[in-house]
Amino acid sequence: MIKSTVTLFAIAISSAAFAQSPPPATGDAKRGQELFEKTYKCYACHGYDGQTGSPRLVPMNRTQEQFLAYLRKPSTPQMPKFVDPPEKDLVDVYSYIRSIPVAAPPADSIPLLKSIIDKRQQAK
Amino acid sequence: MADPKDDAGNPSVGRRDFFKGAAVGAAGLIVTGPSRDAAADAAPEPAVTPAAPSVAVPTEAQDLAYAQAQAGAAVAPARAGIASGQQPASDFMVDVLKKLDFDYVAINPGSAFAGLHESLINYNGNRSPEILTALHEEAAIAMAHGYAKAAGKPMLVCVHGTVGMLHGSMALFQAWADRVPVFLIVGQHRNPTGIVNLPHSAQDMGSIVRDFVKFDDETTTLERFAESTLRAYQIATTPPMGPVLLSVDADLQEEMIEAKDRPRIPELVRPSPPQGDTNAVREAARLLVNAESPLLLPRKVGRTPRGWDLMIELAETLQAPVDVGTYGSWQDFPSWHPLWGNGGAGYRADVTLGLEMSDMSALARAARASGRKTISISSEHLFQHSNIHDYGRYADVDLAIAGDAEATLPSLIEEVKKLITTDRKRLLTERGSKIGAAHKDAHKRYVDNASYGWGNSPISVPRMIAELGAQVQNDDWAIVSGHQFTGDWQRRLMNFDKHYRYNGDNGGFGIGYDTPGSVGAALAHKRQGRLSIGIVGDGDLNFQPGVLWTAVHHKIPLLLVVHNNRAYHAEVMIVQRMCGSRGRGMANASIGSVINDPPISYSGMAKAYGMYAEGPIDNPRDLAGAYQRALAKVRAGEPALIDVIAQPR
Repeated sequence: MIKSTVTLFAIAISSAAFAQSPPPATGDAKRGQELFEKTYKCYACHGYDGQTGSPRLVPMNRTQEQFLAYLRKPSTPQMPKFVDPPEKDLVDVYSYIRSIPVAAPPADSIPLLKSIIDKRQQAK
Repeated sequence: MADPKDDAGNPSVGRRDFFKGAAVGAAGLIVTGPSRDAAADAAPEPAVTPAAPSVAVPTEAQDLAYAQAQAGAAVAPARAGIASGQQPASDFMVDVLKKLDFDYVAINPGSAFAGLHESLINYNGNRSPEILTALHEEAAIAMAHGYAKAAGKPMLVCVHGTVGMLHGSMALFQAWADRVPVFLIVGQHRNPTGIVNLPHSAQDMGSIVRDFVKFDDETTTLERFAESTLRAYQIATTPPMGPVLLSVDADLQEEMIEAKDRPRIPELVRPSPPQGDTNAVREAARLLVNAESPLLLPRKVGRTPRGWDLMIELAETLQAPVDVGTYGSWQDFPSWHPLWGNGGAGYRADVTLGLEMSDMSALARAARASGRKTISISSEHLFQHSNIHDYGRYADVDLAIAGDAEATLPSLIEEVKKLITTDRKRLLTERGSKIGAAHKDAHKRYVDNASYGWGNSPISVPRMIAELGAQVQNDDWAIVSGHQFTGDWQRRLMNFDKHYRYNGDNGGFGIGYDTPGSVGAALAHKRQGRLSIGIVGDGDLNFQPGVLWTAVHHKIPLLLVVHNNRAYHAEVMIVQRMCGSRGRGMANASIGSVINDPPISYSGMAKAYGMYAEGPIDNPRDLAGAYQRALAKVRAGEPALIDVIAQPR
């Protein structure tokens, strides 16, 4: 009955390791979405679109090789180890993540968020 | 109907007068001891009604109509069963309880306290305390937990022997872990005669939950009932606070007594809260003033407006950052204050002061390893039980001061001010400016991050909160649930600038508090005209959905926003991690931790209990309208629920 507390996943898959976008993905993005949402349930920590959880996966700045290596051997215990999935699955998941458009308009362009920013900036 | 009278035979005050009287809070109670001022300082928050209440405060006529509806047709009790010159002993018990300024008593009925129940209704007229009908004992105690944090004083709860107490034990545990006073009366049949009553009696009722109550007693005589009641209240409300339990025999409640049999009812004496040793406080001040990068870590200090103000004064005097932590019991510090946070990137604390922190062990270890200092001021040094490990690991801080943080802050601030020279003040001001600038930047970055997935469905958590904040920006609002599962978005996107803006998490990290706790806290805020908002998980709501009926029945204004991710989401992540670490695949990871087949209609659930509700809402563009319609109900004095299909985190 008692639920333990989960520390937010503080991994850095999407860390800005690259200033520029990595090479294009080679997998099947559509299949990757299915795997992301249903098989591996990546949404649980990273949001249904990879951009609302912790950490965000979008924009993905890792190369495909780096992404796979990280999933096989994560640097943080909060990230599940993806030891057993076939490589094709992970490549497809990567392709799906790379296909997700960044849906983050500048906060200043959203009246509601701009209002929050302005109020805080005006506070002492 | 017999007029309720106090022990001196004076008629009790009416409801309206009572709430006016609450403005002086415990200061109106008899106080003896070394420091009257100190005890008065610890008094519950004054009942200040804002100029423009955000929710409708009932009028005198509405109060009367409500009371009559609650009491039903039989307000005037028949006295045929009571011989002349006699009264039930439970009437005397009510007279004792009325010494304690209880506004409410939450119950789920049980024959073992039927005598007391009857006296509360008929002898006392169901006023001060007024009965709250709970549909489960866990809900009753969790309501009392949330109420005590918002009202600054305990609620009375009555439950049946063994079974009722065991139902409520989970909530009792959370109140213990949160160091919140709850006053629990457990009725029991000391001399059970039938097959039903036998399992509801125990030779030592308190032992069942003794590990997580601060005091318990078996009251076998009326004299002992009177003394133990006042003692229990003292203990519950003296830091470190906690729940207390009295077991009361059903036969004793139902005895008929004459005036000569009534024991004297002692006066309530409120001990002054323990303050830290003067020399130790002086040393703490020296360390803090001489520090290059001090850090303040308050927990439970903002439980009163005075503690809130003192915390701000200490931080501003030292120009030190204030990190309230992730799972606060109270707000403790304004979330948009320039000194909020850990000082920003690169700020490495050389002296850290924990105030009512239950576990500073990791901080102390790290500090000792690098020549930094840690200080603890806490009433936790004064009292602990052994079994539950909520006291944390052993912390070898450099300076441990046993005392209530709020009570100790005035002397600490005074000592700090004495030590700050003009030159030092200039340096402190420079430090504060840097911290303030860092916080402003950090806040801007945080809000920038809120834009990710802004228009997506399921709705992002920051959008769910930002839309809500916009709707209540002109209200006197209070978040009455915890924010354990919505991250830091609440206090980043809404300005928590009053001590009551946030009522905190449950203390024990158990699911099932947020919904009933919100109802209890909303009841406390009702008389202040504050608009209460509970943001609760779907998992939490399913533990005690019956409390929705209690909110409707008692006309408790509260907006419940269900953060519906259709899972025990924390567990989804944990099981995934376990599957991954064992290399057995994640395809089955959601078995046992998701709640999506069939999806539950929380709006349908609320409507079944008679509550206004909308949802499920999965389009972010529909949020504002839903909030507006629900808030109109809440501002008029009713509860309402909005079911939001949201991102998991």
